Amino acid sequence: MATIAFEPRRPNIASANVQLPAVRDYEQVDAEITATLRPSKAWFVMLMIAMLCLAGGIAAWMYQIQQGLGVAGYNPPVMWGVYIITFVFWVGIGHAGTLISAILYLFRAGFRTTIYRCAEAMTVFAVMTAGLFPILHLGRPWKFFWLIPYPNWRLLWPQFKSPLVWDVFAITTYLTISTTFLFVGLIPDIAVLRDREKNPTRKAILSFLSFGWRNTEREWRHFARAYLFLAAVSTPLVLSVHSVVSFDFAMALTPGWHTTIFPPYFVAGAIFSGVGMVFTIIIPIRKYFRLQHYVTLNHLDAAAKLALTTSLIVGCAYLIEFFIAWYGGVKAEQDYFLNRVFGQWWWAAWIMLTCNMILPLSLFSQKLRRNPAWLWILSIFINIGMWFERFVIVVPSLSHEFEPWQWTTYAPTWVDYSILLGSFGWFFMWFLLFVRQLPVIAISETKEIVPPRVRHTHAHTLADAEDFEPQTGRAH
Amino acid sequence: MRGVLGHFRELDNAVDAITALKTARLGDVTVFTPTPRHELEAAVAPPASPVRRYMLFGGLAGCVFGYWIAIWSSNYWPLVVGGKAIASWIPYTIFGFEMFVMIGALSTVAGLFIHARIPRLTMTVGYDPRFSSGDYGVWIECAPDRLSAAEELLRKNGAVEVRGER
Repeated sequence: MATIAFEPRRPNIASANVQLPAVRDYEQVDAEITATLRPSKAWFVMLMIAMLCLAGGIAAWMYQIQQGLGVAGYNPPVMWGVYIITFVFWVGIGHAGTLISAILYLFRAGFRTTIYRCAEAMTVFAVMTAGLFPILHLGRPWKFFWLIPYPNWRLLWPQFKSPLVWDVFAITTYLTISTTFLFVGLIPDIAVLRDREKNPTRKAILSFLSFGWRNTEREWRHFARAYLFLAAVSTPLVLSVHSVVSFDFAMALTPGWHTTIFPPYFVAGAIFSGVGMVFTIIIPIRKYFRLQHYVTLNHLDAAAKLALTTSLIVGCAYLIEFFIAWYGGVKAEQDYFLNRVFGQWWWAAWIMLTCNMILPLSLFSQKLRRNPAWLWILSIFINIGMWFERFVIVVPSLSHEFEPWQWTTYAPTWVDYSILLGSFGWFFMWFLLFVRQLPVIAISETKEIVPPRVRHTHAHTLADAEDFEPQTGRAH
Repeated sequence: MRGVLGHFRELDNAVDAITALKTARLGDVTVFTPTPRHELEAAVAPPASPVRRYMLFGGLAGCVFGYWIAIWSSNYWPLVVGGKAIASWIPYTIFGFEMFVMIGALSTVAGLFIHARIPRLTMTVGYDPRFSSGDYGVWIECAPDRLSAAEELLRKNGAVEVRGER
């Protein structure tokens, strides 16, 4: 006879057997996670705000198409501005999703289980947002497909040695794989929704989307193997995509760009900004839907350590850039870095340094790592700081190249700001629609870390769970 | 297709039932579980999933395609830049890698679909919506003269509900 027994554990103390002490059984997981799908007034209000922002961005873009790129604040030779900055920003945001879902899966990091679905969805929508910006940046956006290699009547092919074509392949692959990864992981959860659904129309849609998933051992076996291999190939993909984005800069001879540190520096920055956005999203979700006993303080603590580590790597990269400029002895490079921090762009550089290097040092304190309010505030600073990091990379270099007569300035216009705001509207519109339709916490994977029901009594009982206060995530 | 479906509330009861049914060699056993469990996998003892081969061959095909499209189109439409080689394998490794990942991952998903036999238009026999929630199911497909023996084994091992289906 099989014997499966569990040791008694204190509430909210994760262990190998009990990672979510306040979650008693599988039915509770289904009931509480699917409760997030109910519509509410707050959801409608936020969706309306997101759609208004998006509408403003669309209007500004239409104005730009009619008037030409001149309305976007470009000032030669600063011909990369808010659009390229925001492109790199959103690609970076998209990195944490696959990192959390793939790399942490391979490393068996337990804290990923309840946050990875949110992060994966965030990745897909962030990359969808990022992909718009190179098109917005084109003077004739309707010709963007010229970058895609396919047999055509023009008999023209793209220049495969151009980093812009590398970008097309990298971003397309990343969007495809992130979407595939998200959807494959969703299939068993959609089956759960299908089986609980009473509305015949919704049930038919969910039946179609779940592909007739039946939860057989055979399905799970192939699913687990496929998921493992998807994670295995997504891991180097995460590292490659932002390396390729960094090549857009590093392949040029421009001061501040032409450096071999760019790929790891960009990858660390991307993960840092992505974890920041995960906090921005997951902390309100866990509070609003009362999911503190799923996304526990232990999970936030572990994710905060990841943010701290990547912040230290990014900070180290900032300092190494200065060192190399000094040690390399190239006058234009040295002059550029002085201008960046103490000259024309000091304000942007210090916003970057404060938000990305100095404030995250607070995460050395365990008390602050376990304080959701502080983590949320810090995440906003991280988002701002990482946008300014890209600003500091793009604008100061182009405005302060080798020839002093070319030195100039740059100021975004209302069109730039409207499209930037519109991109946030676009991103949050998709995310809010996702939250309303599909589970933000992976149901089947959460069940994996909840002890199964067995005929032998185990001490992970109702009495333990009742001792737990979901609002604070603390035991009495 | 005719068989018996046993419905279990507890994992260890389902494991015991599977072990007993396999020992008695009454027919093919299909297990339903809301989440993958090693205990069930050990009891069923299935062969290794061949999905990994789809990853390998799909990835290799993608890698070859990535290099090929870059090299072929560079030679077809030669753009000389700074006197450098028309087709240069170092930057083209990016295309080889990206296509390796894309085609490899999509092939893996195809492998999952083929071997897990999805998409499925009907749920077929032996499924209960409770199996996606918190309960376990054991479906045994066997000859009519063995149905009663299978039913008895399922009940003996703690099935809360047993029903015949065809």
